[in-house]
Amino acid sequence: MTKDGFGMMRRISNVNGWTIGSVLIIILLFVPNLSIVTGIFTPPSENWAHIQEFMLLGYIKSSLTLVFFTAIFTIVIGLSLAWLIAQYDFPLRNFMKWALILPLSIPPFIGAYTYHGILNYTGIIQKTLRNQFDITPNPAFFDIMNVPGAIFIYTLFLFPYVYMITRIFLSNQAASLIESARTLGKSSVDIFFKVVLPISRVSIIGGVSLVILEVLNDYGVVKYFGIQTFSTAIFQTWFGLGDLDSSIKLAASLMGIVIFLLVIEWVLRGGKKYSFASTKVRPLPLVKLTGKKAVIATSYTLFIFTVAFLIPVLQLLDWFVLTFGKVPMEEVLTYTKNSIIVAGTAATLIILFSLVIGNFSRITKHKFGNVLPKLTILGYSIPGAVIAVAVVTTFIAIDRFLAPLYLSMGLDSALILSVSLVMLVSAYIIRFFAIGYNSIESGYAKIGTDFRDASRMLGVSGFRTFFKVDIPMMKGAIISGFILTFVDILKEIPLTLILRPFNYDTLATKAFQYASDEKIMEASQASLLIVGVSAIAIFVFHKLLREEPE
Amino acid sequence: MKKSFGLLLIALLLVLAACGNSTKQSSDTTTTKNEKNNEKSEVNLYTSRHYDVDDGLYKKFEDETGIKVNVIKGEADELIERIKREGSATKADLFLTADVGRLYRAKEQGLLQAVSSDILSKQVPEKFRDSDNMWVGLTKRARILVYNKDKVEPEELSTYEALTEDVWKGRVLIRSSENVYNQSLLASFINIDGEEKAKEWAQGIVNNMARSPEGGDRDQAKAVAAGIGDIAIMNTYYLGQMLNSQDPEEVKVAEQLGVFFPNQETTGTHVNISGAGVVKNSKNADNALKLLEFLTDEEAQYTFAEANYEYPVNPDVEQAELLKSWGDFKEQDIPLTTLGENSAKAIMIFNEVGWK
Repeated sequence: MTKDGFGMMRRISNVNGWTIGSVLIIILLFVPNLSIVTGIFTPPSENWAHIQEFMLLGYIKSSLTLVFFTAIFTIVIGLSLAWLIAQYDFPLRNFMKWALILPLSIPPFIGAYTYHGILNYTGIIQKTLRNQFDITPNPAFFDIMNVPGAIFIYTLFLFPYVYMITRIFLSNQAASLIESARTLGKSSVDIFFKVVLPISRVSIIGGVSLVILEVLNDYGVVKYFGIQTFSTAIFQTWFGLGDLDSSIKLAASLMGIVIFLLVIEWVLRGGKKYSFASTKVRPLPLVKLTGKKAVIATSYTLFIFTVAFLIPVLQLLDWFVLTFGKVPMEEVLTYTKNSIIVAGTAATLIILFSLVIGNFSRITKHKFGNVLPKLTILGYSIPGAVIAVAVVTTFIAIDRFLAPLYLSMGLDSALILSVSLVMLVSAYIIRFFAIGYNSIESGYAKIGTDFRDASRMLGVSGFRTFFKVDIPMMKGAIISGFILTFVDILKEIPLTLILRPFNYDTLATKAFQYASDEKIMEASQASLLIVGVSAIAIFVFHKLLREEPE
Repeated sequence: MKKSFGLLLIALLLVLAACGNSTKQSSDTTTTKNEKNNEKSEVNLYTSRHYDVDDGLYKKFEDETGIKVNVIKGEADELIERIKREGSATKADLFLTADVGRLYRAKEQGLLQAVSSDILSKQVPEKFRDSDNMWVGLTKRARILVYNKDKVEPEELSTYEALTEDVWKGRVLIRSSENVYNQSLLASFINIDGEEKAKEWAQGIVNNMARSPEGGDRDQAKAVAAGIGDIAIMNTYYLGQMLNSQDPEEVKVAEQLGVFFPNQETTGTHVNISGAGVVKNSKNADNALKLLEFLTDEEAQYTFAEANYEYPVNPDVEQAELLKSWGDFKEQDIPLTTLGENSAKAIMIFNEVGWK
């Protein structure tokens, strides 16, 4: 940096620094996806007509049905819970505040296997009715392996995205508005529909778009349930017809749809950024509920918690006891350690990159500065297995490029990076960047640029301001972004499975190993550990968040 | 500023790469040491089989030969794609998968090399080896009929084809066409009866389904016990697993079911294999061959079959008690490769007849 003392000049040069850093990161995140984007333009194979005629229409229809209803239900549940927890005090509220995030720790495919395990013919319900009470109910009544069943599973294990993001928003940023409404004597119902709903639109969209993307590219649940969705079409084309090109073409179309939705959302917002740069960002004072209302609030939150977390975990525990000693346990510690290290590393890098790009997006005056970061969400819109192909290709190319370097370092192998954890961690970053970024972006929105400008005006350098002013105020966003990505990576499957180095297992690969072979009981051990590690992480960060200066 | 940020990023990348290298190196130190003593000291396996019994066998192989077995487990087609993209640099020596269609696909894409040895020829019948020696079968699984003992007499059963008759309307259970075992079943019919007949069969089954396909093979068995349908098409080893389940209720259900090997008077029961092929660009092809010989020898074959209720390919090996109790059966007599050749066609037929 030059010695000139003009704030203006400094500001511009600084913007360039962030710009270059951000553009570089975005390119790094985006390049592997390029090979998928170009898939749109590859000429259709001889299978294309068949795919169009027999696979696409019906599959898209069921995908849309799943997405639409899951979105509605996660909004209803997530927002109502967020509203209750942010606004009211009732028995168990402090526990529920963080416990309602826990369902996120159960991978949806494990949730699907577990609920099916509970409800099927040999499951606890039908078994008890049959053996204890001699009642043989119609088994079709307990069948959840259909579209409504899948919506049920997705809703249960994905609603925390909406809940978590919206609750943080309501408790902190929206406090003054809600309080004003309260002083004006508005009823709770009025406040909810006239204040809460409109102002939390952005965070609801933020949360629900994660849910939608998760549903769109999920393959585990629909495969098991026998529902044909867009991702079935992608994998049936690849695995079944052996036509990877066409399957990438399909994935690219999916990406196209996601870009389209992103643009729509951006246009709807009018390209506006919401900033609540009030100096008094403080939590909303709680209204104490008593009597019937308290009972209803507690029962409702308890009900959701029970169905989305307690029941599946109890069932997993039951299976764990049943299969105890039958599943090798010697290396459990290694898997657990692997899981924690790799998820922790990737989540940390995602947050760091998000901070850089988010800051760039915040201070840049260019329009593309707002749009560009959105590109990074693409990784989240593509089924993991397809990203894996793109990542392998990229890393083998990098290895080829670096081959002379390896040789000079005395390494006798042509593949170094692509057989190391670097590839897996990079893939996680590409895939889950959207989750971390979402959180960081809303964090920046919350603090705005006023404090930063003040600090810069006082002659503090850009980097120093970033660390001394911005980061401390962003603590909540950083922590929540980290939890979400960490928990998501912990349960990730297709990438981990295909991109891991030799002899490398994680809890998720272990759980999948058994579940994919219909041995859900044996999968309980690893599944419970995923839940346990996530739960501890969520709890620890909850404690950290509470100590956040108010 | 520009420069410093760029430098920072480059530094970050280098650190990342260094991390990768160091992990790699540390995990390799032992093998490099061994390499000095004995050049052939490891074998790298890409496998889509996820069973614990496999891990046990690899360990045993390590103990016996001193050759370290390194494993990446994944889905077959993803592994094929990875080997393909790694090209000549690949570390993979042996590709192992639970469906002959995938072995065929790997062979077609030029990813495998021919290997043969007297030991392999002795241990694995010709039928379960590729005609060009590109792959070798390891275990067999049969796709059989399972029926409700209370509702169906075994005399009523005969062939897969008979299940399309009107008597079975609303009584047949089978999982989704997305499943590879169904794909290879239909692929075998394409080979035996031709495309037209195979399509008629698929249409006939769709017409007679007790419900729209859902769940795995075990779920079909449970649905038979629950009375949703009367007969299920499923793989043998899933029934074996249920009979030996930790959950007494599953055992109870499995015990209500009868086992029937179809097409005994005609074309034989459908059989698929797990198998493995040595990767074309393998750096340790000799070790890969040794591992193949080890996995098909009598002891390993017995373990394979015993633990997972699969049929050994090695004819000298005694079958697990349970399999013995089901008796010998006549297998389809077609080249296994045709299952791979016809699998894409099979999927198109499934789509055309609306088999979910």
